[in-house]
Amino acid sequence: MLLKLAWRNVFRQKRRTILTLLTMTGGFFLSSLSIGWMDGSYSSIIMFFTNNRTGQIQVHCKGYLQSPSIYSTVNDYQAAGVFLDSIPGVRAWAPRIYSGALLAVRPRGAGSGNVFTNSAAASVIGIDPVMEEAASGFSSQIESGEMLSSSAADTSYSATGQIILGKELSIILEASAGDSLVMLTQAADGSSADRMYVIRGIVSTGNANIDRNTCYITLSDAQILFALQGKVHEIAVMTGSLGAVDELTAKISAGLSGENLETDSWKTFAREFYNGMKADEASLKVMIFVIVLVAAMGVLNTILMMVLERRREFGVMKAIGTRPGFIVRMIVLEANIMGIISVIAGGILSTAGLLFLSEHGFAMDPPLDYGGTVFREMIASITPECYWIPAICVIITASTVSFLPALKAAHTKAAKTLRTV
Amino acid sequence: MTDNDVIVAEGVVKTYDDSGVPVHAIRGIDYTLAKGEFTAIIGPSGSGKTTFLNVLAGLDTPTEGEVWLSGKLISDMSGKELSDFRRDHIGFIFQAYNLFPVLTAEENVEYVMLLQGIPPGERHERVMAILKKVGIAEYAGRLPMQLSGGQQQRVAVARAMVSRPSLVIADEPTANLDSKTSGALLDMMRRLNEETGVTFLFSTHDEIVMKRARKIVVLRDGKIDGKASLEDC
Repeated sequence: MLLKLAWRNVFRQKRRTILTLLTMTGGFFLSSLSIGWMDGSYSSIIMFFTNNRTGQIQVHCKGYLQSPSIYSTVNDYQAAGVFLDSIPGVRAWAPRIYSGALLAVRPRGAGSGNVFTNSAAASVIGIDPVMEEAASGFSSQIESGEMLSSSAADTSYSATGQIILGKELSIILEASAGDSLVMLTQAADGSSADRMYVIRGIVSTGNANIDRNTCYITLSDAQILFALQGKVHEIAVMTGSLGAVDELTAKISAGLSGENLETDSWKTFAREFYNGMKADEASLKVMIFVIVLVAAMGVLNTILMMVLERRREFGVMKAIGTRPGFIVRMIVLEANIMGIISVIAGGILSTAGLLFLSEHGFAMDPPLDYGGTVFREMIASITPECYWIPAICVIITASTVSFLPALKAAHTKAAKTLRTV
Repeated sequence: MTDNDVIVAEGVVKTYDDSGVPVHAIRGIDYTLAKGEFTAIIGPSGSGKTTFLNVLAGLDTPTEGEVWLSGKLISDMSGKELSDFRRDHIGFIFQAYNLFPVLTAEENVEYVMLLQGIPPGERHERVMAILKKVGIAEYAGRLPMQLSGGQQQRVAVARAMVSRPSLVIADEPTANLDSKTSGALLDMMRRLNEETGVTFLFSTHDEIVMKRARKIVVLRDGKIDGKASLEDC
């Protein structure tokens, strides 16, 4: 009877109920879309960021992340790699060496003499061309020229090496594919090193900050140049999905714990990036709060009107022996019925909207620059959060907003109401 | 109070002070209503009829005095006790019918028994029996808006009677009805009074009600006027 009463009361004032339902459904729809949109954007950004560069998980020598040093190396990266290959969920891994150097380019038209006047300091990353390609698809980021190749020349110090420059760095150096440059640096054994390179290609990773000061040589070359034979500074691990990262990080960490190594997920080694996303999440929460607040005002208005209109009815209910609790339950149930209908309608609408946005996405015009990484299109993702968060918000709002008017109705003075209304 | 009394009111005073100006609605009434009576309270507008009924029914608390109903001192009961007491002992009939618009006639009548916790099978049986008695069993599935005023008031009578109360209080039950419908309604209520022995107490302006009442109490200026005649009202 309580449910019957509540259900029929909801539809007494059809027009008002429909308006309220529209408000609540709209609140659900907007919240759901915002969450799906934000989740999709985050996933895109994270996957782009990690797949292109960092990997989702990294293995380093203990302390390297806090204080990077040429001496803090993963000494037997091949053994670590064998272990990584045995873990389901690890899609690929790539060993890397990091150091710094001074680059100098001979300007075009300067003849064949040793006139290297265009110079810049740069981060040097030693990569295994084959493994890097499998992990980050590095060659797809090459704008001009070609990818590094694993060649015998790498191990021959007397021969000219091969190097890829970041796009912005190439602009600073006024260099392009086919030009020569000289690299001056210091090796791990304290010796100074210099080597002649031919620029094989120019890479655009999508992050201008990185491309402004980064160049790439082969891992074997880097190991000789920096006197790090058989060693690397980092193993970047690529996983199939972001959802598996935490579990895989724990697994790898446990498997490599005895090797003086530490394993971190992107949330740790890209902490600033992660914190930026968390800050964005906070702004999403504020947005959802505002949407829910607007919907709550609509529900509150309806419930207040409903209670005001039905004062005589509540008076009669009280007169014939209805306890206040019954009236409270009835009104809260009425609000919740509207909430449930809104959740169902909002769920259907949101699914349609999210499906569309996950298929087609939105072109970002102008493109979004996130920490130097440029995103030209954003798509939504459909996650359980797109549904349960707005659903809980709607139901809690309906219950909360209806409670005080329900209490007021429950404490209607029967005699006064019947006398005055 | 004797076993034969349904209501005993002693020195009942009710003063409203809602707007800061005291309004003396009832100015000291002593009254006893015996079981099985069919009594009308009459009086001019503002004489305190409705207030007196409300106080007797426990809908309003007296400013002074005591009210006993079926042997219980209701003027001292808590809200919850009063609520349960009204549910089990008093049936109400209102001037404006006051049926729940979203419930059918059958559901309106059933509602009180639901509050009493009566099982569904028994509820249905008793609802249909009382609807038959008041002559509207064929309209059991209709909503109040699909019934005439007279039919709605019959449903209200059925709702008041179905919980088998010791007292039915009716405030101006025929005020919204034409004379023919009023007469038929009162005849039906009188028949129920005779068949079931339930006590009826009315407030009314209506001569049709007065003529059918077995006893008449005249209220004037918040007091029972023992000397007044029907013509004075």
